[in-house]
Amino acid sequence: MSRRLLWLLLLIIAAIALAVVLIPALVIQPFRPQSPRGLEISFALKRIGPLFTIAALIASFALVVKLWRGARWSRIALLLLVIPAMLSAWFARQNHFEWMFNPLANAGYVSANAATFIADSDLVMAVARNGEAAAYPIRQLAYHHLVQDTVGGVPIVVTY
Amino acid sequence: MWETTIDGKALHFHLAGINNQNFIMRDEETGSWWQQVTGEAILGPLKGRRLTRVPQDEISFALWKREQPRGRILRPDPRVAKRYASANWEAGIAKLPVATRISDKRLDLRELIVGVIVDGRAKAYRMTDVQQQNPIIDTVGGVPIVIVADGQSVRAFSRMVDGRAVDLFAKPETTSLVDASTGSEWNFAGRAIRGTLTGRQLQRIEVLRDYWFDWRAYHPDTAIFSAGLIKRAH
Repeated sequence: MSRRLLWLLLLIIAAIALAVVLIPALVIQPFRPQSPRGLEISFALKRIGPLFTIAALIASFALVVKLWRGARWSRIALLLLVIPAMLSAWFARQNHFEWMFNPLANAGYVSANAATFIADSDLVMAVARNGEAAAYPIRQLAYHHLVQDTVGGVPIVVTY
Repeated sequence: MWETTIDGKALHFHLAGINNQNFIMRDEETGSWWQQVTGEAILGPLKGRRLTRVPQDEISFALWKREQPRGRILRPDPRVAKRYASANWEAGIAKLPVATRISDKRLDLRELIVGVIVDGRAKAYRMTDVQQQNPIIDTVGGVPIVIVADGQSVRAFSRMVDGRAVDLFAKPETTSLVDASTGSEWNFAGRAIRGTLTGRQLQRIEVLRDYWFDWRAYHPDTAIFSAGLIKRAH
């Protein structure tokens, strides 16, 4: 294969790797409407993202190695062209929604009478199962969005 | 709020995105995407499956503590406590833009409502009506219901007692109701605590506090309660 074709291939791989992670991130933005088709495409890209971006990264490296000899100043361009694949491979393994809204790792509870961090008029989400009662302050839920718990032996997810 | 067990296996969820301002969660076990408001898997291996709903009860801390003095409450996560919503956060939310294709302008898109689904029929009540007219006596899907408010806490019950619809009115200075036929007193949990019906329990109907645009998006056929004719004489 001619060197020119290999360069082109490297460019295309960089562009596709970026598209695979950027399209879902752009479709699924708050304060923007989403269409069922857009979600479907985003879901598919998210599913293949981790594997695909690693494959793209390996392919990019292989191409750079192949093009390295014989290249001079363009070695800088070669290195720059691996960056998109590296960023994509990293981003495909991130949940950027959890950057913004940290998941609750170790949920801690206190008894109703010991709760000093909440005002009487603050809203809570309440649940009672098999004789066990639990409450989740809305102000905390509005940040974490979901809390996993087991109440009265029943595993639940509290969502807000 | 949802039970997380599907086919005998408990799923673990992560925030995974947003669909027209209602969030999507992904389960670790299958990678399926679930819509928060419906509990339905919209994409992935479990597409079409539904989580079992845990009836929502969104009430004030004071009321909860009164009813469940031995309950436990989630404490703030110290790592992110600074990022929790402030006390007046709902006022801030009300100013946020609405990005949705809903153009049903019967109510303001950000109007706070409480929604009920009875016998498959959805109906929305403006929060201000619920608080002013407390209690609201209504019939939805052929079922006589009552909606009661205690500040921000709202609950709904079926008004059927022994196969007959009862009329209920507020007991002044309390959060209780009194039924017109026996004069029994019903507390905010729908339990008769005084009178000949003491010990009876009205059947709970789940209410969802929501914004009009969100409720309307997931319940396109919803009716809206009209408070126009019954105004309280003050």
